[in-house]
Amino acid sequence: MTPRSEIFEVLAKVCADPMGYARAWKTRTGRRVIGSFPMNFPSEMAHAAGALPLIIQEAEDPITAGHGLLFPFYCGFTRSAVDQAAKGDLAVLDAIMFGDHCVQLLGAADAVRVALPDTRVIFFQLISSMCDPWTLGRSKESFEKLRFELEDFIGEPVRDDAMRASIALFNRGRQAMRELYRMRVEGRVALTAREMQYVVKSSMVMDRAEHLELVEALVASASENLPQPEKRAVRLHLSGHFCQAPKPELLDMIEGCGAIVVGDDLYHGYRYISTDVGEEGNPMDSLARWYLDRNTGVPCPTRVQNDVDWDAFLLDAMRKESAEGMIVLMAKFCEPHMYYYPEVKEAFEKAGMPHLLIETEHESMALEHMRTRVESFLELIKRRRGVARANTPEGEVA
Amino acid sequence: MNAPVTLPKPPGAANKLKSTRMAGKLVNDYWEMVWRAKEEGKLVCWYEGSSINPFLEAADIVWVHGEAYSAMLAARHQEGPAQAAAEERGYLRELCSYARTHLGCAVNNQRHRNGSDSAFADVPADEDISAKLPPPDMIISAYAYCSTGQQWDEMTSRLFGKKIPIFNVSIPWIWASGKDAGYCRGQEWEETSRYVARQLEEMVKFIEEQTGKPYPWDRLRELMGNVKKASELRLEAMDMCRAKPAPATLFDWSVSIAPINQLPCTTDIVDYFTNVRNEVAERVRTGEAAVPKEKYRLFFDGIMNWNKLGWLAEKFARYDAAVVAGRYTHMAFWQEPDLIDPNNPVMGMGQNYLICPNNHSSPILIDLIMGLCEKYEVDGIVFHATRTCRAFTNPMFMIAQEATSRLGIQTTMFEGDVADETFYKDELLNTRVEAMLEAIDQKRLSAF
Ligand code: SF4
Ligand code: SF4
Repeated sequence: MTPRSEIFEVLAKVCADPMGYARAWKTRTGRRVIGSFPMNFPSEMAHAAGALPLIIQEAEDPITAGHGLLFPFYCGFTRSAVDQAAKGDLAVLDAIMFGDHCVQLLGAADAVRVALPDTRVIFFQLISSMCDPWTLGRSKESFEKLRFELEDFIGEPVRDDAMRASIALFNRGRQAMRELYRMRVEGRVALTAREMQYVVKSSMVMDRAEHLELVEALVASASENLPQPEKRAVRLHLSGHFCQAPKPELLDMIEGCGAIVVGDDLYHGYRYISTDVGEEGNPMDSLARWYLDRNTGVPCPTRVQNDVDWDAFLLDAMRKESAEGMIVLMAKFCEPHMYYYPEVKEAFEKAGMPHLLIETEHESMALEHMRTRVESFLELIKRRRGVARANTPEGEVA
Repeated sequence: MNAPVTLPKPPGAANKLKSTRMAGKLVNDYWEMVWRAKEEGKLVCWYEGSSINPFLEAADIVWVHGEAYSAMLAARHQEGPAQAAAEERGYLRELCSYARTHLGCAVNNQRHRNGSDSAFADVPADEDISAKLPPPDMIISAYAYCSTGQQWDEMTSRLFGKKIPIFNVSIPWIWASGKDAGYCRGQEWEETSRYVARQLEEMVKFIEEQTGKPYPWDRLRELMGNVKKASELRLEAMDMCRAKPAPATLFDWSVSIAPINQLPCTTDIVDYFTNVRNEVAERVRTGEAAVPKEKYRLFFDGIMNWNKLGWLAEKFARYDAAVVAGRYTHMAFWQEPDLIDPNNPVMGMGQNYLICPNNHSSPILIDLIMGLCEKYEVDGIVFHATRTCRAFTNPMFMIAQEATSRLGIQTTMFEGDVADETFYKDELLNTRVEAMLEAIDQKRLSAF
């Protein structure tokens, strides 16, 4: 069995250079690579078309060429995507497909299309109002349109049985990753937040069969290195950060202050793997259903759905994880998150559940300043231990 | 050597249209009607974005356009209390300032009405009109392009404890990828038009549920007849501004947004635009200029900076620059009256919602803007990079590049905002505009 350290080495490498992985895969297989923008395009579709589906990631490098296409007051993901396009880093992609319509993403997509005149950029807007009588039907129509354009692009139909096979493979991948989540909550596996990010983020890039093998090996080997949890470590839930992965140094810093992350709803985390697609019947029906179920499972502030509450979901998830506090990671300028944050803040204050808001930026991160805030936050949680929960809400600190 | 840019002149340089003064009274009357709504037992609907107001007005529902309320507060420099209330609740400053201001009104509104909750019980200061806004009985969300619009409505509903019925109309972005794609044409356009029209029919059923009455279609037809006429007059008057010197500027058209966008669709708006059209025609006949010594003609790309409207009008006039057209004023607000069939208005209304300029992806949008720049023979484009309205800033760099490469005209950008003046940098505007005008002078000199 591949040792754990080697597995993480592979995953970390993919995460650090997704386009490098894609180039190597393309050379190896001679097949297409189809990129997509987060967060709701079903990669199964491009996989069934024989391509490597790859969710475009925020890159580490500073924004240079992208400055001439998008203003600095945009989220790191959109700025980086445009920058990568302008620098030619997305050249490996044969096409880009997406259905989300966050206003900043639309701006980025438009700029990417201009920067990559030879790359087909396929868009069909997914309905984001999730509880209308026509939401399901319209979602199916949208996926059918996306599939039609994909077929037009590759010049042949994407067969239903290929779709079902891809769905089944992706489901297995999600299930294996969810198993790791379960094991982490129950203390059956020692995984840092950085490692968990490697697991999920790499699945957005890698050949899914190859990825599945590695994750299943991780699950199987978990009991071999069962940790002794540090008794006083604070159990935390990480929330937010949609289209871009939080920087691993930030995750290390949080855990280095004496916390263990036991759960999250990050896009590069549980949000991405939360929901499986039905394997029977018409795959377009199944994808439409999945799209709706996903938002009920882990509500997303980029959608509007009056009958589910992200704040209630978070409190419930934390109860199940026995989490003692939550750190909200907000990508600076992310409007959907800024809209929803007051709801979360209010609900957490009412429930007496502590949380800390940290805004992250593409370029600079004042890690030392953040460390002080995290340390005080963790101290506060520790002080609460053993004290009967006071009625007075505490809410956000620092 | 560069030709010197004309030095700024004393205040009063802009020769504004007289006929637009009527807008002030109509707007005041409208808001008075809104503020009286509850006393008069009327249902109130909050909405943002698309001009769905005729649907509401026909059903005798009082309509409150969120942007309009925020813009009005900003124009009166009364946005402070609402923005402070929003900030207090946790809405961060980088969020759309229209939304933030309007959500702040909702927060204030809750506070002042919710006397039983001591944390929220408060008495509004007399001058705080943010709290005067009557709470909604329903919310309709029909926002083209900008996801922020839909989320704003959702959050409004949540602020009111989700007790208020909300109806969502999804208006998809025109991505224009098909070979037949173009402005108001192609399969994507046809399909999207039908999709939006279907939802508007459903919206009417929602309105019927709220009023408990059959929908008065005849009334809607009558109102849309007025809208169509007003729109035609407005476009006719705008068209006349191709004349040199221009008889009116973007600032006159900004003042005229409320009459076309959210005032009651009675014959008053037809009269308003008849007067505007007549005055513009008269100015063209006599050669009267909106900027007395018009030397430069500019296009303004960006949403208006409402707390700076009059000030900007003066500033550009003092530079002898006539801002003759803009994306916000000349490409939106019942922009295609020909699509409206008053006898069967729903499809044409939906299509007008779809052609909100931002709702076209860059290939179509840029062609339209270049067309306007040519039509009005502009020397340059000024971009107002509205910090919190990314819907407007999204394509700006691409527009600027095309303006330079396709038309060979000058461009400049300055940072500001729709309703939060703290983002505004005066010095930057001065130096950038002056540099652009100098470049225009230089180009003219070298052409000789
Ligand atoms: S949802 Fe947030 S992170 Fe994603 S594109 Fe929009 S602003 Fe950026
Ligand atoms: S960001 Fe701009 S387009 Fe979007 S809701 Fe705000 S004002 Fe409207």
